[in-house]
Formats: sequence, C-alpha cells, structure tokens
Amino acid sequence: MSISEQHTVLNPILETLRQKGNSSFAKQGLPTSKNESFKYTKFRELNLDNFVFAKQEHKCCCNEHKLGFDAYEIVFCNGKLCHNHCSGLDKIEVLPLIDAIKDKTSQKYLNKSFDMDNFPFAALNNAYLEQGLFIRVAKDYVSDKPLALVYHLVANEKYFCNIHNVVVLENNAQLDLVEYYYHAGDIKAEYFNNVVNEFFISKNATLNHYKVQNDAFKAFHIALNVANVKQNGRYDSFCLQKGALLARNETVVKLLEEKAQTEVNGAYVINGWATADTSTYIEHLHSETYSNQLVKGVVGDYAKGVFQGKIYIAPDTAKINGYQLHKALLLSDDAVVNVKPELEIFADDVKCSHGSTCGEIDKEQMFYLRSRGISEQNAKQILITAFINELFNKISNPNIISWLKSF
Amino acid sequence: MDKTPLLEIEDLCAQVDNKEIIKNFNLTINKGEIHAIMGPNGAGKSTLSYVLCGKDGYEVTSGNIRFKGQNLLDMNVEQRARAGLFLIMQHPVEIPGVSATTFLKHAVNDIRKANNLPEIETMDFIKDIKNISRNLNLDNDMLKRSLNVSFSGGEKKRMEALQMSVLKPCLSILDEADSGLDIDALKTVAKQINSLKDEHKSMLVITHFQRLLNYIEPDFVHIFANGRIVKSGDKNLAIELEQNGYSQYIKENA
Ligand SMILES: Nc1ncnc2c1ncn2[C@@H]1O[C@H](COP(=O)(O)OP(=O)(O)OP(=O)(O)O)[C@@H](O)[C@H]1O
Ligand SMILES: [Mg+2]
Repeated sequence: MSISEQHTVLNPILETLRQKGNSSFAKQGLPTSKNESFKYTKFRELNLDNFVFAKQEHKCCCNEHKLGFDAYEIVFCNGKLCHNHCSGLDKIEVLPLIDAIKDKTSQKYLNKSFDMDNFPFAALNNAYLEQGLFIRVAKDYVSDKPLALVYHLVANEKYFCNIHNVVVLENNAQLDLVEYYYHAGDIKAEYFNNVVNEFFISKNATLNHYKVQNDAFKAFHIALNVANVKQNGRYDSFCLQKGALLARNETVVKLLEEKAQTEVNGAYVINGWATADTSTYIEHLHSETYSNQLVKGVVGDYAKGVFQGKIYIAPDTAKINGYQLHKALLLSDDAVVNVKPELEIFADDVKCSHGSTCGEIDKEQMFYLRSRGISEQNAKQILITAFINELFNKISNPNIISWLKSF
Repeated sequence: MDKTPLLEIEDLCAQVDNKEIIKNFNLTINKGEIHAIMGPNGAGKSTLSYVLCGKDGYEVTSGNIRFKGQNLLDMNVEQRARAGLFLIMQHPVEIPGVSATTFLKHAVNDIRKANNLPEIETMDFIKDIKNISRNLNLDNDMLKRSLNVSFSGGEKKRMEALQMSVLKPCLSILDEADSGLDIDALKTVAKQINSLKDEHKSMLVITHFQRLLNYIEPDFVHIFANGRIVKSGDKNLAIELEQNGYSQYIKENA
C-alpha cells in the first residue's frame, strides 16, 4: 500500500492507532467476493496506489453556501478540513479529531463501536487517520439548526479523502446531522472518499442523520456508519446515493438498551456503469427495541444496485420489532439489482419481517400519463419522483425534505 | 351543421394478444357531433378506445384511422393527446405519490410546449382547476391526494371529467363515464361535460345506460357487437335498446 505519505505532527497516540490500522488492513486486504459482506460489490477498479493526499495548503474556494438552508456548516475540501464555522458554539463541541485524540474523553469513543478486523475499509481508514471531527452535543441540548458537514471536491487529482468522525450525543440531546458529498471540479475526477462515522447516542437522545452522496461519476465512496443507541435513544438516518462509480454506504446500528429505536432509510438513483451498495446490520441486543428500514433504488443503463440487510436479534430478548423493505425500479434491460436480506433471530417474542420487490415502471401508469399529453420522458420522471418521494414522508424537517428533493 | 370530418375510421381490424377484437369497424365523426356506442359486455368497446389512443399491445392489423385529416396511426400516445384526443377511462389507473394538480400541470405544459406556447401561469392554472372542481363537487383535498388512490368509483369519474375540462380536447371518448356515479353526481358530471360542448368539439360516448344520454344528447347511437357496428340510429335507438336488450343484434350477427 503506497498512498503517498501525508504530513502530520508526530503524535504517539496517533502513531499507535495508525499502526494498528495498518496491520489490520494488511491482514485483510481489499475485500473480494469471497467476503460475504461484500459478496456483490467488486473492487477490481479500486487501485489504492493511484491515490494521493491533497496538500494542506490548497487554495480553497468553497466559501459559498451549497445547502440552501440554514445550518451550522463545516466544510472539508479535497478531504481536508477547511472551514469550521462551529468552533465557537456553546453547546456543541466541534474539534478536529486529531486535536481531540490528545484528550482522554475522545479515546473512550474512537474505534470503540466496531472491530476493525471485520471492516477492511475502516482498518484502512485508521491506517491513515488524521482528518475528521469529534462532535459532542451537551446534555439536554436540542440544536436549533442542523449541523452540516460539507465534503467538497474541487480538483481533478486522484485524492484520497480519509475521514473519521465521532459524534456523541449526551442524555436528552437532539441533533440533525447533514452530510453532503459533492464535486465541483472536473466531472471525471477519480478521487476516493473513505469515511467512518461513529455515533454514540445516550439516553433519550435523538440523532437524525441525513446524507447525500453526489460524487463525481468516476469516484469511489466507501462509508461505514456505526450507531450505538442507549435507552430510549434514537438513530434515524436517510442516505441518498446518486454519484460515484462505486459507492457503499454501510450502516450498523446497535440497539443496546430498552426502547432504543432506529429508522435506517435510503435511496439510490444510479445509471451509467455505477454500483451503489446499501448494507445494513441492525443488532437488537436488548428487549423492547425497534427498527425499521425502507430502501428504494432506481437503476438505469448498466448500473448495479446492491442491498444487503441483516437483522440480528440476540438470545434472551423479547418484545422486539424489526422490519425491512427494499424496492427497486429497473429502467433498462441491463440494469441489475442484487438483494440479500438476512434475519438472525435467537428469540421468540419477536415481530420481524423483510421484503423486496424489483420491477419496471408500471406500463398502465405510463399509458395513463402519456394519454394526457405528457411526454414519455416526463411521464417516467414523474413516476420515478413519486416512487422516491414516498421516503420523505418520514422526515419532519421541511428544509431538509426540499433539499433532498433537489437532487 | 359543418360537416367537416374529425375522426374517420375505415375497415379497422385490431387485436390484443393475438385475439382479434375489432373486426372491420367503420365510423365517421364530424366536428360538433356526439355519437353514442352501446353494446354488450366484452364486445370490444374499451378495446376500440385504447386502439384510438395508441396503447401498447393494441395492434391494428388493417384499416385506416384519420384524425383531423392526419394519419392517427403514425402518432404515439402523447402526440394523439396533444392533437386533441382524450379518453375518460373505464378504469382509471391509481398513481401513488402523484397529485392531480402536479400531473395536470405537466400535461398542460407538455401540450403547450408541443404547440410552441409558453408555460401556463401557475395562478391561472390553479384558478382554473379550482373552478372546475367546484362545478364537479370535488373537494380541493382531492386535487392534492395521490391520483385515484382510494378514490371512490364516483370520485374517479369526476376526476376524469376534471381532466377533460382542463385539457379541452376536440374529441373526447367517454368510456362508461357514468359508471359509479350516483344519481346526483351523474347530473353534475353530465352538466360539466355539456358545458364543454361547442361546434368544433365532438364526443364518442360509450355507455350501457340510456340515462346518461338523457343529459348528453347524442346525434347518433350505434350498436356495437362482435367487434363492429351492427346498427345505427338516432337517440330513439337507445330507448328501444333499454326495452329489448341486445339479443336480436347478437343473434343476427352470430
Ligand atoms: N389484454 C387482453 N388480452 C386478452 N384479451 C383481452 C385483453 N383485453 C381485452 N380482451 C378481451 O377483449 C374483449 C373485449 O374487451 P373490452 O374490454 O373491449 O370489452 P367492452 O366492450 O369494453 O366490455 P364492457 O362493457 O364489459 O366494458 C373481451 O373478451 C376481453 O376479455
Ligand atoms: Mg369496456
């Protein structure tokens, strides 16, 4: 592995973490189809030797707001933190991860929600650990506006953007967290976003996580989101995957205590030769926990959608609801969707279901719209939009709904 | 009356799933005329309306159709609609997530675009559909709901009549526009449809019941059986049918 060396101040804690990541990744390597959790997603075209880190002293031009709604904004440019408009907030602590690492508190959380030996890209992420944030929302604080992490790519270099965020919500805290990945440079830029997000949601706290991945069409995007949810806490997420050549959004939710809940929803709308992988793993580790998933895909051209959804229900638990539904629309004969739902249930008092449908655009609906004078193209678009819009019914913030609809 | 032909159907044969349904069908509708078609279940009335609209799977095997002097068979579904053809469907399709307002605005603008007209002013459009829905006793709420999803039978037909009123087609095919309507709703819908009538607009009214024809008075009534017209007459033919049924016409043709 030879991603050209990045420059950082020497820090013994960081060095240890990197070494650990390095040896874990060396053991695992890039996943192949033999690895069950990457069964359908191929990494042939991902050659790590190609990538370089952006120089710290790049000229950043991304001051303008890209979101179109009011939020606390933090901007990363080419994988490097460049504008932190949140450093002075009272109830939300936002620190560059590399600074937070020096402190004992952040060490309580960093890498504590997963075993990197099972997550090759998270191991890789640790091997190059530097960029990312430590965010902590104070007890009882309900944020008045969303906190937005904007990941902006401007150059046509093969940049490696390696980000690791740790987000902690203390008891009763509430936050809308937005992640927006996009490019503004050459549309053919072949960069690689490798992201790990760790969420720690304390008692009665709620994190709403909204993500839009609209990377350049030759880019790679791998993200692992792990949420740890305590008693009566809630992690709700919505991820729209639209860009990249190869994208994977993996979400692991650990429902650790009574009445911990999660909604893991998402959509992928892809065409060309793209692959978009949505993988979820919901662990019901305690009685009276609830999960619901709705993922929809629209796949055109030669593109491939992957949905792998696993629900695990631990032994000696009861009163659990776990639902999962995946629906895909195929727009061309060469479009593909691979689906692998899995239920691992080791308890009795459980309501669990999963389902998946995959089909073309309804011909009767097309005829109806066209018979009113609507062009074939517009009729298709109307039906696709309606298909995706169903997902927004569950989102309460109207600003975020209109932002999501703008893609 | 001006005798300019609007729709000319000559020796039309058409099939669905390799099954011949329309057999040597002939009909000419002039501008301003109202024609009624009555016929037993399964005769092919809805099939005829789909053939006219150009629906996939409804294959014309021989014959000609001219609409405003042009070859209708050269046009695709939306081109026919933009030329002024409209169908009130017997079974309108449910479209979850699409409201009548949204979809009708697309329709109006796509038609305007095809005629090199600018997009309609949103305010004018909203005012128009609000007026029409008031005439049809349709709640404003119905305009925002998913189109036809969980609509009652009568609501679906009123929604079809609303679309017809917004698009103002020159030839409307009404495929059982009266089915599902209660006695009062039938009057309301018929009144709205009548208000669209003028010397340039024609209608083809498919119905099983003479009642609708009391409100929308036809110039001609045709009996349709076994894929073709077996008898034509004036509105009195509908009254006679109401009493005697179709048996003599089906037998004659068998
Ligand atoms: N897609 C299809 N495949 C096979 N047969 C079909 C298809 N569509 C229609 N038919 C058949 O064509 C015949 C005519 O049907 P159509 O719906 O046109 O009758 P109709 O005159 O409208 O009857 P109704 O008065 O009951 O509405 C019927 O026998 C019907 O079963
Ligand atoms: Mg019929």
